[in-house]
Amino acid sequence: MRTPLIIAAVLVALAAVPPFLGLGLQNALVNVLIASLFALAFNLLIGQAGLLSFGHAAYFGVGAFATLHLMRIIEDGVIDFPTPLLPLAGAVAGLVVGAIAGFFATMRSGVYFALVTLAIAELFHALAPRWQGLFGGEAGLSSMRMPWGGITFGSTLQVYYLTLGWVAISIWVLWAYTRTPFGRLTLALRDNEQRVRFLGYNAHATKVIVFAVSAMFSGIAGALQATSNEVANYSLFSSHVSAQVVLYTFVGGSIVFFGPLLGAAIFTLFAYLISDLTRSWLLYQGLIFVLVMLYAPAGIGGIVQTHARHWQRLDWSRLAGPYALGGLGGGLVAAAVVFLTESLGVLFDEAYAVARRGAGGGYPPFEAFGIPWDPLSPVTWGVPLALFVVGLVLLLRARRAIAERWDAVRSAPAVPAAGPGPDARTASTQQIAG
Amino acid sequence: MDASLPSLQFIDVTKSFGPVSVIRGVTLDVLPGERHAVIGPNGAGKSTLFNLVSGLFGLSTGDIRLKGRSIAGLPPHRINRSGLARSFQITNIFHRMSVFENVRIGVMARHGVRYGLFRPIAGKRRINDEAREILSLVRLDARADDMAGDLTYSEQRALEISMTLTTGADVILLDEPTAGMSRDETARTVELIRTVTTGKTLLLVEHDMSVVFSLCDRVSVLVYGQILATDTPARISANREVQEAYLGEEAAS
Repeated sequence: MRTPLIIAAVLVALAAVPPFLGLGLQNALVNVLIASLFALAFNLLIGQAGLLSFGHAAYFGVGAFATLHLMRIIEDGVIDFPTPLLPLAGAVAGLVVGAIAGFFATMRSGVYFALVTLAIAELFHALAPRWQGLFGGEAGLSSMRMPWGGITFGSTLQVYYLTLGWVAISIWVLWAYTRTPFGRLTLALRDNEQRVRFLGYNAHATKVIVFAVSAMFSGIAGALQATSNEVANYSLFSSHVSAQVVLYTFVGGSIVFFGPLLGAAIFTLFAYLISDLTRSWLLYQGLIFVLVMLYAPAGIGGIVQTHARHWQRLDWSRLAGPYALGGLGGGLVAAAVVFLTESLGVLFDEAYAVARRGAGGGYPPFEAFGIPWDPLSPVTWGVPLALFVVGLVLLLRARRAIAERWDAVRSAPAVPAAGPGPDARTASTQQIAG
Repeated sequence: MDASLPSLQFIDVTKSFGPVSVIRGVTLDVLPGERHAVIGPNGAGKSTLFNLVSGLFGLSTGDIRLKGRSIAGLPPHRINRSGLARSFQITNIFHRMSVFENVRIGVMARHGVRYGLFRPIAGKRRINDEAREILSLVRLDARADDMAGDLTYSEQRALEISMTLTTGADVILLDEPTAGMSRDETARTVELIRTVTTGKTLLLVEHDMSVVFSLCDRVSVLVYGQILATDTPARISANREVQEAYLGEEAAS
């Protein structure tokens, strides 16, 4: 099996590389880790139990606030508590609030379940700014990490390692969960809730437990963010946070265990790298989400898994060409879209209106990507449009070629003609969620 | 268990959906160890009767007793734990899980590991062994690792029956187990049912008369929500009233 090797390599890299990175990147990696754990905790519900929650910010936020309360008590010297164990507060709070909220939410399924979870998160979002004692009002709560056991927990790097430890252990526990009887029951629930009941299981109790476990790990993720940022306010409960984790999970691929982790890592790094460059980064993020849902509904993780499963049978000499063509086409289309978006962003900006007034109502050149462009020149719009069309044609051609070759791969007989035996077994171990 | 007590008792059971009365006073004893069929024309209420016993619907009036204890109004999982398991007319399996896991989920329930969160399932040898035994009983062992959704129709029906056995219930309800099967498949399934229900009480809904006659000790005829007659298969087929109400229809068609 290659999977343990890949996991080991990733862990070694995550442990060894950060000391050589700048502060900004270290901080971004902390966010990547937190988002990854949050997405995997969320995916326990949607990927494994088949329950789509639109309000997971509630449990993330509860974990963060609980941790800040604990930090403040420690700061005041009321109790002595080991700083590395701070996220336990988030775990307990997430578990308790998750069990209560889950009890009500899981009385219904499908759309109604999603709406109840949304309502619960909105309840927190509305309540928090008005509840001074518990959530610190609109300003929120802040505190300081205290040194413990000879470690100051002052530097970003120390916070990074603390986060890495918690995230690695939590992900391992979430993975081990899928191997337990209850983990298997969770999958059965997703497939056919009615049959679960007729086999003697209390489906509601089962769903409450799954929900509470998911909320507990979301609470740990929130706790790690609180530990890292040392502040929390009501915006943690906003629907943006709930939507973000849905995005991570589906772009990463909810049917593959590690899929959401990929989505979380990609989007968090994307936000870190791109949000300084352009104000349209949320638009790009949304575009990526829509495209993945339309053309690769299994997500990035699903694509990776498909390739891994058929690795032996892939003829790269025939696939590399179409893939490169697709990459080129995609790149051209992306470049054109980015140029048009950014240019329109500049043209519809207040600053350009001011410049127009300065130019007596005409259309002065605008600046995008450090180059001045004439808004009335056909070149300015014609070239990107041409790139878009050429890119699209290349993309469509590549898609057809790739589909043909994959059909050949899929329809080819199993390698050692041994039937479904070993092949099916590796498939079922790789695809934990199915 | 008191051997003289019926395994399953229907006492003046009625069920209405709004103004529509589907079960109109069914009283019936299913004796321990017998194989009992419920036959009747379409719409007679056979499936509704099953749904009432297994807890999918609540009854309107009357009582249903399992080994002397009332199970009326209990949720499905409690009824299952009291020792009654059912299969479904429309195959009701875990499509995206392996055949082996489909069976194992039920075996887990019997062993009471419902909320086992702290040990891997792979280490539970007795559960895994038992699941494998049940699979070989229904001759699905060769397909243990395949996705249940990829099985052929008759294999899915066999899996459906085997899942009904997994929880260790001694009262088994099978809802049209041979529906949609070829003659060969039906014969095999009848043999399978005979083997796996030995020593258990079986209540069966079936349209195929040859299945009923070869498998069952007693037959009840359900017409418009009421039991017309309960007797041995031979005497049922000789019963004039039944012929008119049900068998006659078939002979005429």
